[in-house]
Amino acid sequence: MFSPADSDALHARVRAFIGASSRGAAAEPFDVLALDLARFQAAHVPAFARLVRARGADLATARSASSIPAVPTDVFRLARVAAHPPEEDVALFRTSGTTQGARGEHPLRSTATYALAALTWGARFLWPDRVALGALVLAAPLSLQPDSSLGFMLDLFARTLDGPASFHVEPAADGEVRLDLAGIARAAADARAAGRPTIVLATSFALVHLLEQSDGTDLRLPAGSRVMQTGGFKGRSREVEPEALRLLLSEAFGVPTLHVVGEYGMTELGSQLYEGTLAAAVSAPGTCAARHGVYAAPPWVRVAAVDPISLAPVPLGEVGVARFVDLANVDSAVAVQTADRVRLVDDGTGQHGLELLGRLPGALPRGCSVAIDEMLGRP
Amino acid sequence: MSGSPDARLSRVRAVTAVGKRVADPTDPLGREARAALLGSSGLSAEGIELALTVHLETDPAPEHLQELLAAAGAAPRCHIVLSANVCTAALRALAVAAAVAPSIAVRPSRRDPGLGALLARALATDAAFVAAGGVVACVDAIAAAPGDELHLYGRDETVSAIAASSLPGVIVRAHGTGLGVAVVGPSVAVELAALALARDVIPFDQRGCLSPRAALVEGPASRAAAFALALDRALRELGAAVPRGLLDTGLRTELALYRASLQAVGDFWEGPDHAVGLDPDPRALLLPPPARVVHVVPVVAGVAPSLLGPWAPFLTSIGSLGAGSLLSAVGELAPRARRAHLGEMQRPPLDGPVDLRLR
Repeated sequence: MFSPADSDALHARVRAFIGASSRGAAAEPFDVLALDLARFQAAHVPAFARLVRARGADLATARSASSIPAVPTDVFRLARVAAHPPEEDVALFRTSGTTQGARGEHPLRSTATYALAALTWGARFLWPDRVALGALVLAAPLSLQPDSSLGFMLDLFARTLDGPASFHVEPAADGEVRLDLAGIARAAADARAAGRPTIVLATSFALVHLLEQSDGTDLRLPAGSRVMQTGGFKGRSREVEPEALRLLLSEAFGVPTLHVVGEYGMTELGSQLYEGTLAAAVSAPGTCAARHGVYAAPPWVRVAAVDPISLAPVPLGEVGVARFVDLANVDSAVAVQTADRVRLVDDGTGQHGLELLGRLPGALPRGCSVAIDEMLGRP
Repeated sequence: MSGSPDARLSRVRAVTAVGKRVADPTDPLGREARAALLGSSGLSAEGIELALTVHLETDPAPEHLQELLAAAGAAPRCHIVLSANVCTAALRALAVAAAVAPSIAVRPSRRDPGLGALLARALATDAAFVAAGGVVACVDAIAAAPGDELHLYGRDETVSAIAASSLPGVIVRAHGTGLGVAVVGPSVAVELAALALARDVIPFDQRGCLSPRAALVEGPASRAAAFALALDRALRELGAAVPRGLLDTGLRTELALYRASLQAVGDFWEGPDHAVGLDPDPRALLLPPPARVVHVVPVVAGVAPSLLGPWAPFLTSIGSLGAGSLLSAVGELAPRARRAHLGEMQRPPLDGPVDLRLR
């Protein structure tokens, strides 16, 4: 029987872990908390319970979070992954459209832990200098996309920052991006007039659309401004190489390329990862050790590159697929298996960073049966 | 003369006659085919034997040949690009091309040439084919001129790219990838249906566009579970006689993620040469890898559109056993898909291209 009190207690422990670990203070052991979450989920999330049984995992005696079976992201599309009943959902985040049918769903019975995780790690990498920032958001307001985890996070950031915030995308039924170019130009001009540093929060495809449509429009922002970009292109704009896009954004907004920060997140996770270039540049100007393409995970997330066939961890530096243990996933799946190719590397600070290498390539085409990646690639 | 109905029919018959030689393991052409396919097709020796002896269209019914001729166009030359197909597909492609034109140019896949080059070489010196005005050659590059027909077979992106680069006036007939689904009617014995479906899954290791990838079982979850278990047994038995070819890394990876998903969602059974996944309460269909892996779901007619809708554009084949409202609903979603009884999905009549979606 699901007990809200048990869930609340776990949420409190996770928030305490986030708070302590972000301050560098002593927190309870990661593995203990992760395994307690896994035991709670095995008791209340049928999909996870089946996976545990099928793998023969013994969570009662396990001592390491690495022994928790990871729920593939596809499962969020095929079944409800939640300990609590639907009537206790306070948020239901959905993945963007898919060509394979239903969208993935991540139900939340509390957004407090999600919000704390997002703000704590976002502040570390997006506004480590704690300056007052305006927010120029190339996404629709949360009221128009209440099921978007990204929308929730951007709204949270915009409300948290001290400056004015504006949203400049209208969601369209056809999936296209409708940019309010005049509004963006006006917000940039206001920021320049006030000398107010601004953070641009945007998806990569929205930024590409903006660059294509701006055609000489003055988008420059005052010194101290920055850009957070996230997500791939998913067929919603032309694809632009990351380095080229950074240069274009740097030029358009008048910000250093180190101030263009990539974010990695997904609906199925409660936490996000960031490139550390801005944080390194702000804390030690001119001696930036962090580099683009390497993403830092928060202390409450453990990421492993695993062999895509055996799902066993690969040695540091080798390519595998990303497996996350995310303590912020209290009521869903603490361990999540993705199909994203990654490599764990030294991020220059002695920590392990995550290099993103794209989706797994599909099987060699043999025959005329539809391939999985082919169906995924359809608009 | 070479465009007359008799000449066209003679050329098509010549193609199937050469196919008969390929099917014959004692014919030098048959021996050469087996040796070539063993190195390139990815199928096991037993899988190749099954493909050549059971699934190569060597004995077409006259009425089906008439349908093939009636559906074919007419052109001075027909060019065929075979970029990714099952190993026997070249025969049907050549038969269709022979109905269209006396002069045929074939560009087989470089990585997986199948039977294209071998059939073309044999046809080039085949007396009946030559007597009917037939000329055929393998080429490295296609040079279709206005008025010619260009038949493209392969992955959609490849087909689209070649079609886009062809000259104006070239008649392009493109055949992309597809898949099949099986529908198990409400009053059919699940053991019988499972055995029949297994016969459709084994050929070509499920790599054909007619190969069933999912089984929709009309009725409750318990019936789908019984069917899945029976299918696991049937695939195990047939797989022992006809083992699956080796899986490449990509397929093994897709299988690992599919296995993990189905272990969470429902049930998963796996043998040395196959796998069966059961989703007892489907919200969406998960496409399994084409490696003798079947995704089984219980379905009622009312939810078929939402469940199967995303697959509908890809559906080239519907296999069924027993009638029912589910079969009708699936048929409405994919009216151009070929229909066959389970166990016969991989033996379509030689009445034209297997993919009818463009007709």
